Amino acid sequence: MCRLNSIENFTALQERLIAESHPDTPTIVIPAGTCGQASGALNLVLTAQHEILSRGLQNRIRLRVTGCHGFCEMEPSVLVEPKGTFYPKVDPAGMRRIIDALLRNDVVQDLLMADGSSGRNYENLGDLPFFRYQNRLLLSQNEKIDPLEITDYVKLGGYAAFVRLLEHNAPGEIIDELKQSGLRGRGGAGFSTGMKWDFLAREKNGKGKYLVCNADEGDPGAYMDRSILEGNPHSIIEGMLIGALATGADKGILYVRTEYPLAIKHLGTALTQARKFGLLGTNILNTGISFDISLIKGAGAFVCGEETALMRSIEGRMGEPRQRPPFPVQKGISSLPTLINNVETWANIPVIFRIGAREYASTGTGDTGTKIFSLVGKIKHTGLVEVPMGTPVRELIYTIGGGPSGKVGIKAVQTGGPSGGCIPAELFDIPISYEGLSRVGSIMGSGGMIVMDENTCMIDVARYFMKFLMDESCGACYVCRKGTQRMFELLDDIAAGKGSLEHLDLLEELSLTLKDASMCGLGQTAPNPVLSTLRYFRNEYLEHIEHKRCPAGVCKELISFSINELCTGCMACVKACPEGAITGEKKQRHSIDQDLCTRCGACRSVCRFDAVDVQ
Amino acid sequence: MVTITINGLEVSVEEGMTILEAARFFGFPIPTLCHHEGLSPYGACRLCVVEIGEEPRTKVVSSCTYPAENGLKVRTASERVLRARRMIIELLLASCPQSKIIQDLASAHGVSHQRFRQEYEDCIMCGLCVRMCSEQMVAKAIGFRGRGTNRSIGTPFDVQSDVCRLCGACMYICPACQLRCTFNEPEKAVCNACANFQPPCIEQDRFHDMMCYMDPCVACELAKTP
Amino acid sequence: MNPEHIEKIVQRHRGEQGALFAILEDIQNHCHYLPEDALRKVSQLTGESLVDIFGVATFYKAFSLKPRGNHHVSVCLGTACHVRSAPGLVDEFTQQLGITPGETTGDGEFTLETVNCLGACALGPIVLVDGRYFSNVKRPDVKKIISRAGAGFRESTAERAGSSFPLEVVCPHCRSALLDTQNLIEDHPAISLMASSKGTSGWVRLSSLFGSRCHESEHAFADDTQLSYSCPTCGRILTTATPCIECGFPVGSLAFSGGGSLHICSLWGCRSHRISLNGLGSPGVAHEEIVTRV
Repeated sequence: MCRLNSIENFTALQERLIAESHPDTPTIVIPAGTCGQASGALNLVLTAQHEILSRGLQNRIRLRVTGCHGFCEMEPSVLVEPKGTFYPKVDPAGMRRIIDALLRNDVVQDLLMADGSSGRNYENLGDLPFFRYQNRLLLSQNEKIDPLEITDYVKLGGYAAFVRLLEHNAPGEIIDELKQSGLRGRGGAGFSTGMKWDFLAREKNGKGKYLVCNADEGDPGAYMDRSILEGNPHSIIEGMLIGALATGADKGILYVRTEYPLAIKHLGTALTQARKFGLLGTNILNTGISFDISLIKGAGAFVCGEETALMRSIEGRMGEPRQRPPFPVQKGISSLPTLINNVETWANIPVIFRIGAREYASTGTGDTGTKIFSLVGKIKHTGLVEVPMGTPVRELIYTIGGGPSGKVGIKAVQTGGPSGGCIPAELFDIPISYEGLSRVGSIMGSGGMIVMDENTCMIDVARYFMKFLMDESCGACYVCRKGTQRMFELLDDIAAGKGSLEHLDLLEELSLTLKDASMCGLGQTAPNPVLSTLRYFRNEYLEHIEHKRCPAGVCKELISFSINELCTGCMACVKACPEGAITGEKKQRHSIDQDLCTRCGACRSVCRFDAVDVQ
Repeated sequence: MVTITINGLEVSVEEGMTILEAARFFGFPIPTLCHHEGLSPYGACRLCVVEIGEEPRTKVVSSCTYPAENGLKVRTASERVLRARRMIIELLLASCPQSKIIQDLASAHGVSHQRFRQEYEDCIMCGLCVRMCSEQMVAKAIGFRGRGTNRSIGTPFDVQSDVCRLCGACMYICPACQLRCTFNEPEKAVCNACANFQPPCIEQDRFHDMMCYMDPCVACELAKTP
Repeated sequence: MNPEHIEKIVQRHRGEQGALFAILEDIQNHCHYLPEDALRKVSQLTGESLVDIFGVATFYKAFSLKPRGNHHVSVCLGTACHVRSAPGLVDEFTQQLGITPGETTGDGEFTLETVNCLGACALGPIVLVDGRYFSNVKRPDVKKIISRAGAGFRESTAERAGSSFPLEVVCPHCRSALLDTQNLIEDHPAISLMASSKGTSGWVRLSSLFGSRCHESEHAFADDTQLSYSCPTCGRILTTATPCIECGFPVGSLAFSGGGSLHICSLWGCRSHRISLNGLGSPGVAHEEIVTRV
């Protein structure tokens, strides 16, 4: 097998690739991550391939199929380089027109994204408000890289940081620089990554050490890790290689959740390519240093995102957490010292060493660097946004996200997944930082940011998270297993109008016990969604309890549907009603039989005239 | 040897000892359900929680799994600990009110009622039987299945295990399946009356322990009558 | 599932980190669930106790001990999907299929499941059916999705046929055409290559229609045989260092006459193929060239 066998060879390859890259060649870039594929990006790819091949355009137009760029809502989208023209929601016919225009060095005006207020078209990706206010330190790489081609990553300067550090081989300096960068774990608690590496480097063990990339991105509503894994798998590998160099680890593990099949494929390909290049495996670039990474697929268990459960899962056992100490760094996988970082943390490593710790640390206020959030829910522009630490929540939601998606206002934003909390709209001026978020009762977490508007019921949200945690608790520790079940029952009662004020007391008491007495982070943080909604939206709880009313019109037992005078008699709701509860003639106002109605909301979702009211 | 402070008392204990072992050795009672001296610690029932560290940065941990570390400050019965323990007992009572051990725990901690939907489960997933089977009997006939609220203990596929020797150790060690005082309604079994008053059956020779098999137990009724 | 197959699977993952997961996954991919006798056999072969294997099989949501239907519907209940009315979709599927999540229809056609997050949150609510993602699903769409899935997504294959086109490939080394005008597959000249495996060597012809998996060969290679492709004209090896994204085996890289390359998997039976038009010619070849040159 042929592989690169020296540092000079790697440098020569990189130089040659950069020299041959011709960045000015017109290139069609199609994001085809999982979200892109879900919205039909592969049809565009096929159309583009067909056009290019059948018309013999290979030398005039390049095609790059990449991972997610972040503006998932506008997918399938097309980006045309080198100008950076951005076309949202393209169909195959549009794709052909884009190619035709590109050959004329032109832009298809009517396919561009229009600014709602001025009517002007945004031509360039960088002009869009969604992108303009971001600092896409990590995500911008996704546009440049075909994740199936290691050469694309190398061409962008990839692996150069690792190779440079490999040449100097001074582990202490690497850790010092990392500490200087101020990088904190992007997976939740925000522990200093440099300190963590230092702990592992200090562990002496003749039998080896493990580095783990925790890609068990389980927080519902957060998917930035998926987009990195799919779009830029080599950045994780390079990050882990640098980690290995600094800590003396010799074994790496990528633990990816099974719900991400595309990420698994891309990582598998990336690992094979890195090995073939001689950048991974035994005797890397003939320097005598060895480090290899195995890919392990999770099997569907949220709790395996917890470090100790993750290690058990890697050992092929049930994912039950255990109490620390001993910490993973003392006794981890197969009793060997183990360091676990999440995907976004690893992806930051090559960037830090490429641009230097000082430069990196100059981004962000309060904390350093950027953080990727998945901005989803009831917001106009959904997608992945990367902003410097310290950016106010308001900027993310209104400037980048464009405000509410519907007619009603935004009420709160939920961060940190099931371990996090809800931030009410009046606190949107707080900066995004680990401490900033925890002061208001939430956490940074992995970066889910779910926007909720006036039509979202906070009791329903709390109940949703509690149901989630009840199902996902490993069940080993009694407090978590029973506590989440009991909290869910209490919330369920309240949502059903069977709650009393004692329910609230009991919820608060239980919350304290779960926080204190649970074995692992899942149980300890489980009460957060309840506590934060109780703190900021107690009124909504009281409405449910005292007036048996759901102000948002969500809790089925407390609402009723009726048809108002806007009804045109189009029969859509009559057809949609699964219970046959709606009667009416064509062109006459329909009515709902309350006895038959199950409050499923099907009528409301099909009505085009706002004629279905909820009380 | 490492030095730790338990409830203000500085003691030296052997390295590798858990907080629970150390505390019990020096006579500080800590209640447990899933702990057994012959079996590996599991940390499942959470009753043995203690508060460690110094104000204001203290935390609550399970003492059966936490090693005694040099300089550690431990409080076995702080307000925070007792609050958690009482809630755990309340949760236990809500699910498994018929177990004598749980009833006794409730009595000892002054928990006499519970506020949740009453359940009657015969297993609290303490895992003593599972560990007994694998560690002492070296059989591995039973184990945990599923997760969360669907977790259960039993043999694979719920059929007689090839490796089970019917030794009965699992039943012997179970804290939940001993059915004792149930009064006439199980949830009233935690009335504590028999622990505080003379039970009517204690003078009978057949019953030497506090809890009787009289069905219904009438201790509480007797206590009401002057 | 026959015991030899299980033995093969266990053998394949021997010594791997987390082998049990991989073994169970392979078995499940084969049978759509984990049959009792298969788990007993795995216990025998690996020496893991059955209790532990059963524990793992029941702990993780990806494993099923009950036979699953031919079509697998997963409704995403991630937070973003939840606030955009995904629970209503579960109700609708329940109503349409007559089963609750976790169940399989009586005729063994559909299994309905919910999943915590599929990671396409911006496009929620998401439904995943047999590996296909449906985004922004509304209640009235459910019926359509079920009928499309039941028909095996036939319409979409037809769509694909409409945009399918023949690929004109040449040998990346000698640039001679690889299309065989004498032998047609699906009315188009076939891509003709030499393939060898363990001493057996002969021609293989693949349909030149992109997306098609039609093929014929001189020798009947068993599925899972790794082939080495070579150019019938110059005889040079076409198999490169680039791995197949489906199975990880190396691919054979062919060139398009005007630039760009076609990668075809060298594992007989995988049939995965991919077009690369990113301007680097054939990256696999480029890499090997530079590595051998320097």
